[in-house]
Amino acid sequence: MITIEYSDLELLIVRIRETSGFDFSGYARPSLLRRASRYLTNKSLDLSGLLFHIEQGGKEVYDLIQELTVNYSEMFRDPDFFIALRSEVFSYLESYPAIRVWVAGCASGEEAFSMAVLLREAGFSDKSLIYATDLNNKVLSAAREGVFTLSNVKTFSENYLLAAGRYSFSDYYHVAYDKAFISPELRKNIVFSLHDLTGDGVFNEFQLVSCRNVMIYFTVEQRQRVFRLLYNSLSIFGFLCLGKRETLRYSGVEENFRIIDKKLNIYQKIK
Amino acid sequence: MKSASDASLRLVLIGGSSGSFTIFEDILKMLTGPLSFSMIFVLHRGKKSSASLPDLFKSKTQVPMKEPYHLEPIETNHIYFAFPDYHLLIGPDRHFYYDCSGKDFFSRPSIDATFISAAVSGIPVKAAMLFSGSSADGASGMKLLEEKGFPTYVQDPAFAESRRMPDEALAICDRHQVLRKKNYLKEINDILFY
Repeated sequence: MITIEYSDLELLIVRIRETSGFDFSGYARPSLLRRASRYLTNKSLDLSGLLFHIEQGGKEVYDLIQELTVNYSEMFRDPDFFIALRSEVFSYLESYPAIRVWVAGCASGEEAFSMAVLLREAGFSDKSLIYATDLNNKVLSAAREGVFTLSNVKTFSENYLLAAGRYSFSDYYHVAYDKAFISPELRKNIVFSLHDLTGDGVFNEFQLVSCRNVMIYFTVEQRQRVFRLLYNSLSIFGFLCLGKRETLRYSGVEENFRIIDKKLNIYQKIK
Repeated sequence: MKSASDASLRLVLIGGSSGSFTIFEDILKMLTGPLSFSMIFVLHRGKKSSASLPDLFKSKTQVPMKEPYHLEPIETNHIYFAFPDYHLLIGPDRHFYYDCSGKDFFSRPSIDATFISAAVSGIPVKAAMLFSGSSADGASGMKLLEEKGFPTYVQDPAFAESRRMPDEALAICDRHQVLRKKNYLKEINDILFY
């Protein structure tokens, strides 16, 4: 196992910025340090080797950015969250003529597909549109394809059952060549596009924003800026969903939300 | 901004997997008075394990127990447990950080993730201990802690319910102190309180 120190990490952040323009200065250091160390370990490289490759203009810097920005996800992650969403949020959404949902930091699309299933089962598919964004082009193209391994789908099916899905999860994909393809019916309600939460601005107004386990990757200062962006992107009485171990503490917008579900981190914008 | 953190903070790190649960219970039972350190347990758990460890263990000790939130300050006289399906990291600013990157040895939370983050955090580690388990997780973290000059203790593999975890730790670093079976709880008590 290769482990770098925080001083090495700062040097790496500078080198990445100089070479690729990608700026990690707003990212939480403990998580970056873990990911950079994992990258080095997996590639059997030491820090000076990596810095040398980066300075030579090698493709390593893009591999590394990929490793540092990709988030693990799965469909219906935290099934109890989806149950709460259905019971505590959807009754509000019902009253809207059109529902816009933003999945911010969507990775390979798992959360967006889950939302699409949920909206569909609630009878909202004709009046809802999901915008799913990520800063990573590679994961976005994977999301657009909507292809998963069969072992992924096994996990998704189990989660779907626990999330009290109404039908059979197999209704939402078909299998070919040992892969599972998410049904086009689900995909047509989702727009996947590139958006960097740390640099890009408001692009629409949403009734529901899901940004689960994304904010944990930002520094406290950057996190406040992103919270402001999410706040500005929500309509009044719109809902904000965060990951299970996150809170609105130190967000700078705590006062503008009421808690809908404390355990599952669902909030409503009230002013 | 973030709440003031405790400059005198010292950590005690405890890691384990299969066969460690009852050891954790025994350790918790020893913690009768206020602690001069913060204790962090990393126990491998499935993501579906919904039981809260602080609830499960609440009859064992009076010391406050928590599954911390992201950015929660690490406090003396508190016991913390890693939450299922996340890595629990210790920040140099004496706050907890979460991470959802890949698993180590098929585990999230991983012991290495927490132990390595503690080793590089600059926060003094009073003791790190590794117990029974059936993977190599924890070995790298223990080695780094030892190299940083912190006291590290490994359960005697001969008496571990699953010996792989302590075996792997000793295989890559033979300078860990081995907790012998006989009276090992007394040994732990001495490490923590003297």
